[in-house]
This record gives sequence, structure tokens and C-alpha cells, in this order.
Amino acid sequence: MDTFGLKIIASDKVFYEGRCRKMTIPAADGEIGILPNHENMIIAIVVGIGRVEIEEGKPLEVALGGGFAEIVNNRVTLIVDTAEKPEDIDIRRAREQRERAEEQLRQKQSIQEYYHTQASLARAMNRLKLAQDKKWNL
Amino acid sequence: MANIREIQSRINSVKDTMKITNAMYMISSSKMTQAKKKLADTEPYFYALQGEISRILRHLPELEHPFFDQRENVPAEERKIGSIVITADKGLAGAYNHNVVKLEEEILARPGIHKLYIVGELGRHYFAKRNVEIDTNFQYTVQKPTMHRARDISGVLLDQFEAGELDEIYVVYTRMENSVQSEAEVMKLLPLERSSFSEMKMPLNMYREAIELYPSVEAVLDSIVPNYVTGMIYGSLVEAYASEHNARMMAMKSATDSAESLIHDLSIVYNRARQAAITQEITEVCAGARAQQRK
Repeated sequence: MDTFGLKIIASDKVFYEGRCRKMTIPAADGEIGILPNHENMIIAIVVGIGRVEIEEGKPLEVALGGGFAEIVNNRVTLIVDTAEKPEDIDIRRAREQRERAEEQLRQKQSIQEYYHTQASLARAMNRLKLAQDKKWNL
Repeated sequence: MANIREIQSRINSVKDTMKITNAMYMISSSKMTQAKKKLADTEPYFYALQGEISRILRHLPELEHPFFDQRENVPAEERKIGSIVITADKGLAGAYNHNVVKLEEEILARPGIHKLYIVGELGRHYFAKRNVEIDTNFQYTVQKPTMHRARDISGVLLDQFEAGELDEIYVVYTRMENSVQSEAEVMKLLPLERSSFSEMKMPLNMYREAIELYPSVEAVLDSIVPNYVTGMIYGSLVEAYASEHNARMMAMKSATDSAESLIHDLSIVYNRARQAAITQEITEVCAGARAQQRK
């Protein structure tokens, strides 16, 4: 099967660099699947769970923060705020983050603060969702 | 000649001070290494973002976006200019703070309505006396720069920029030239300028791949530009942090060195005083003995 070059760059490190068979990424209106030789595109990514298939039949999941993906000449570059493997996620911390955000949402806030906590809540929920199940096995 | 005990206590006090400066030297050098590592970690992300903006600009030269709007219709006297000034929380770092403050004074001298966003206690104290408008809600420390703090700062500024409360945003910070040299610098943050994303000159007959932006150009830029601004702020925070500690390291090194030379000089004076005292004592004993013999 064909493969494509994949590079995932998070704000604090280069998360993954190598070949990939197929992947799905969370876009604003649902998930988008990328196969080799995809059309050139730049896609805005929202907070969500991405799936990367490096070995056949073994999709690996990764929690993604906001950012975007660029597909040019069969090379995919994902530039995101955060990228985390399930086992790197600290469930307790994520839970605390969620509680803090929920608490803040209950209080009166400015519109900006509201968006801020909403985004924080989304990140926390995303982490928790992923941390519940599968692990990465490279 | 000074009293021996006085010199002794002076030497001891210099030694105590030297212990402190030496410790501060070591603390700063370890903090600087950390800051440098942080900067190296985040560089790929930052450069990728920059490359992406220039790629989009290259493919869509006619692009219009609020972040690229230079707002030329606003006259120079009415432009609202915001500056993020990054200073240290304390002194003891040679000319580090002074250079940043001097650069900001130059900006303040230009026409326009100025507003300051100060990171770092020292700058806050300095400009509080200056009768300039300072955003008092803007309370961030320079210690341990994090992505989270950079995101907070850029959130505040982007908001004001979009609301039209600011027309231009600058960052005044200190950049590390290399491990010995650092220089205070002004960087324009917003509006973005096309020229700063080095647009490649492409031959006309070359095939350019078409890129589709999904879901729309605006949505993609909206997700890239704030991150880019955050990256710029984070980068400048980390650079400033590293140069602060570099400056402090050098200041403390020279303080330790001069303490050493001071101790050297003082110990010569001390030894001389001690010898003089001994000589005097011997002379006195001899004189006493001679006087006894003559009897």
C-alpha cells in the first residue's frame, strides 16, 4: 500500500515524523480522512482526536489541540497547539482542568473569558475521552 | 595605616558578598541553559507557522484579512500604539533593563496614543512614574515563560486589535545574538506585514501547485495567525528570559571578579599592617631590653 510523509509538530516538540498509511483528523464539520496522494489542501483543525495508521490495521489515536494540517505533494504537516498520546495524559489533571472550567463557566464572565474557558473545557474533555481507552504501541 | 581588625572584618564582609554573587552566577547560568532548551524545543513549530503564512501569501497574493490590514486611513497622531515591554523582575543584571527602557522611550517619543503592556516588575515601576498609560490588568511575570502565559497575553492583545482599540502592536525585548552578546530590539507584532514573510520570486513559467483551503481561507488564517502571534510572544519571552539571565550571569561574574581583586588588595594591606605591628612589637621589646642592659 502507498504511504505518505507525515510530520506532526506540537508547540513544544516535534511529535512524530515518518511514513503513514492513512489518517483522520478532526475538522470543524467532522472528521476528514487522508489517504496517500491526497489533493493539495490546507485544513483548519479543531480540538479532537486524530487517528494515525502507521502499521496496517493498527490505528493509533492522538489527542490534538487546535491548529491546521497542510497537504502538499503527498506530504502532510500537522501544526497543532498540543499533541498527546493516551498514556501521556494525566487523567487526574485533565479532570481537574475540566472541573475548573465548568466552575468558571457557571460564573459571570466577559465574552472573551467565556470563550477561553470553553476552549479549555473542550481540551480537557478531549483528553479524558482519549485517555479512557486505547494505548499507543509503536 | 588602618586597624588590623577593621581590615579583617572588611575582608570577611567582601567574602560574604562574593559568596552571594557567585551563587547568583550559578543560578543564572542554569536558568539560561533551561531557557535555551525551551527555545530550541519550540523553534520547529514557530518556523513551520511562519513558513505556512508565507506559503499562503505566495499562493493567494490578493488575500485580504483583518490581520494584514495596515489601517492607513488612521492618521499618525491618532494611531493607538500598544507596546509589550519585557523587562526583568529585579535589577542586578547590568544594563539589561536600561537598554529595554531606553528603546521604549524612543517609541513613546513618536506621535500617536501610546499604551503599555509591561511584563516584569522593574519596567512597571519605572513607567508608573512616567505618566504613560499602562494596562494595569496586565499582570504577568517574566519568570519561567510558558506557552500558556503567551497564549493569555496574545489573547488579550488580539482582542484589542480586532476591536480597534489598538492599531499597531510592538514588542520590546532583548534578543540573544549569541552566547555572549544580546541586544534590545523592537519587533512589530501586528498588523502583519507581507514583506516580513520573505516572498520568493518565482519564474512566471513555473508550475505552481494549487492549494485548496478548507473550510475557507478566513477559517484557516484565523487558526494560523493567532497561533503565530502567540508563538512570536512566546519566543520573545523566552529570548528575554535567556538574555536576562545571561546579563545577570555576566554582571555577577564581574562582581565576583572584582571582589576577588578587592580581597587580594585588602589582604596585602592586612599583611603589611600585621608585619608593621610585629616589627613595632619587636622594636619595643629590643628597646626595652637594651634599656635594661645599660643600667
